[in-house]
Amino acid sequence: MATAVELSKVVNELGLNKQNKATLGRLLTHGNLGQAEERPDGRMHAEVRIPPDELTWDPAIVVMPHGGDLELTLTNDDDNTHCAILPSNGDLKFIWLPNHSRGTATLNLDGPGYYWFSSGIGNDEGRGLVGVIAVMGDVPAEARLDRPPQPRP
Amino acid sequence: MPYVDAGQAVDLGSLSALTGGAPPVAQGVTYERILRARSEPQNWLTYYGAYDGQRYSPLDQINIQNVRRLTPAWVFQCGTTGIVAGPSTYAFEATPIVVDGVMYVTGWDSWVWALDARTGQQLWRYKQAVPFDTSLCCGNVNRGVAVAKGKVFFVTLNAHVVALDAVTGKRVWDQPYGDVRAGESATVAPLVVKDMVIVGSSGGEFGVRGHIDAFDIETGRRIWRTYTVPKPGEPGSETWPDGPAWARGGANTWVTGTYDPELNLMYWGTGNPAPDFDGDVRPGDNLYTDSVVAIDADTGQIRWHYQYTPHDVWDYDSVMENILFDLDGRKLLGHFDKNGYFFVLDRTNGQLVRVAPFVDRITWGEIDPSGKITRKVEPRQEGEPVHFWPGPAGAKEWTHAAYSPRTELFYVPVQDLGATVTRQRREFKEGIPYWGASVTVDSQDTQGFVRAVDPRTGRVAWSWRNETPMCASVLATGGDLVFAGEPTGEFNAFNARTGELLWQFQTGCGHHGSPMAYSVMGKQYIAVPTGWGGWAEGFAPEMLGAPRGAALFAFALPD
Repeated sequence: MATAVELSKVVNELGLNKQNKATLGRLLTHGNLGQAEERPDGRMHAEVRIPPDELTWDPAIVVMPHGGDLELTLTNDDDNTHCAILPSNGDLKFIWLPNHSRGTATLNLDGPGYYWFSSGIGNDEGRGLVGVIAVMGDVPAEARLDRPPQPRP
Repeated sequence: MPYVDAGQAVDLGSLSALTGGAPPVAQGVTYERILRARSEPQNWLTYYGAYDGQRYSPLDQINIQNVRRLTPAWVFQCGTTGIVAGPSTYAFEATPIVVDGVMYVTGWDSWVWALDARTGQQLWRYKQAVPFDTSLCCGNVNRGVAVAKGKVFFVTLNAHVVALDAVTGKRVWDQPYGDVRAGESATVAPLVVKDMVIVGSSGGEFGVRGHIDAFDIETGRRIWRTYTVPKPGEPGSETWPDGPAWARGGANTWVTGTYDPELNLMYWGTGNPAPDFDGDVRPGDNLYTDSVVAIDADTGQIRWHYQYTPHDVWDYDSVMENILFDLDGRKLLGHFDKNGYFFVLDRTNGQLVRVAPFVDRITWGEIDPSGKITRKVEPRQEGEPVHFWPGPAGAKEWTHAAYSPRTELFYVPVQDLGATVTRQRREFKEGIPYWGASVTVDSQDTQGFVRAVDPRTGRVAWSWRNETPMCASVLATGGDLVFAGEPTGEFNAFNARTGELLWQFQTGCGHHGSPMAYSVMGKQYIAVPTGWGGWAEGFAPEMLGAPRGAALFAFALPD
């Protein structure tokens, strides 16, 4: 049985990180991880791309240090057309990503917590084009419970 | 090679037929209009239709003579896109609000829609992004909006209260009021009283501390917060042991309160204590769990309380509605509790007037006419299974009863099923479920009813039996009709005086929401959300595999 530390290694050895190798698609969220950079005005920026023939987001996990506005640049380097359905307060955001295209999305997310995004055409989602935007941080102090600190797992 | 410019991501809703705007009808919705909501029966201005919580519409165009001709006028479908929190648990639980031909309704996963109430045409939509990892005890659900002064208010699954512009659906203000790291969430339909929007909290299965919060309608500034479990030294704290139990005590407020403007008192029900089934870690009555608390609307101060199930070890929340009615000159409230008893209280002071059972099988204990409780079956011994009726979903869960001032009868959906609970002590850890037991709800030998109950006597006036528990709210109308949906998809109309089943329509999906009535241009509609799910393993486990839907039906008589 693989431990958490060995997981990525075993996933790669089995070919679960490849298209049409161990399984048909690529195991979800076993791509790279990128951290959004925070700009002086407090807005955050990150980039994701779709590499050729991998049907994955790179990075597949985008980490925001806290809730707020994220400007996300999306690049499709694949020889196939995809799209992105993205979480944001107000409505889901949608962008069509033709072959070799680049676009942007402006997202507003509360956090803490994590949110899925994907390419919602065909079964891009099942093949691996599902990513995560993970938002760290805490809710504001005024929203927390008036009680002593409690043990956590 | 330069990249093709893919441009800027757009709102997904812009790729649909929604018009993007609603008429400014909500601008004129004031506190004074909500006070007199029943005087404009074409509208359904607040969660229960009126502050008294009666879920009674005076409309009588659809009545016992013609209801057999009722047909669908339109259907609004709202299936999900993408991956959502608790995808196996969604249910369509909302009560739509209607203002002068515009319907405002929430779905699961923090969706809000404005619809043309005559045609079902989508006018605008709003979606709060919900973290996939939000803690949910029972389902990805929401019970509806409040509307006032040009704004639509709702709570999000991740415990924000949000004000939207009622014309555009755009966000005006947004206030987080719960801690998702502590296991809090929000599902309640807000209540507007005066210049405040008032909301309750969810999370009782995670050992949080329940609260009710009031916010300024215009700015979102918090006006008051009232905790439903007292801190050490506060009134009621003597019902908790020394130590940390109070801080994890539960008593959440996830169903909208009712309001008596003459007394300036709101009546909010509170949820189970935590841990649900392991009472030995919290000896005492555990106030204000499983209670009705009468709250001064201006200050949030608790004026009086009545505890329906002291020291609960059966998960008998009392969050469900406390319906205000007057009888023989007395100001009363009626409440059907999970514990299987119907309570009538004097709502000026919380004095018990009457208590009577409304379900056939009650084994956890007995409440005599004076209110004295005899406990009979409790999960006290570690590892020892005990079986009791009603199960943890209760003889009636949150889904609402109704009261008709024409018949002076209450109408209640009844769930008759038990459960086996085995106490299993566990350590408290913030954000982890904190039940204190292993639970299996009966999936055989269950049944349901719609019952009419006479508040003068507590006796059942009529009873309609169903093969499965009845797990959706009922509606009473001036046409002497009672509407109620079944877990198997049928939407039923009964004669309010006799219980005769007069009309039925198969909607294709089980009901776990709240029907309502309104009219547009002189035509009456009955609207009902269908979307089976939520805590189905609790209230009807034999229907856990039933079809899942996502539709709002509006019925009317043919032209």
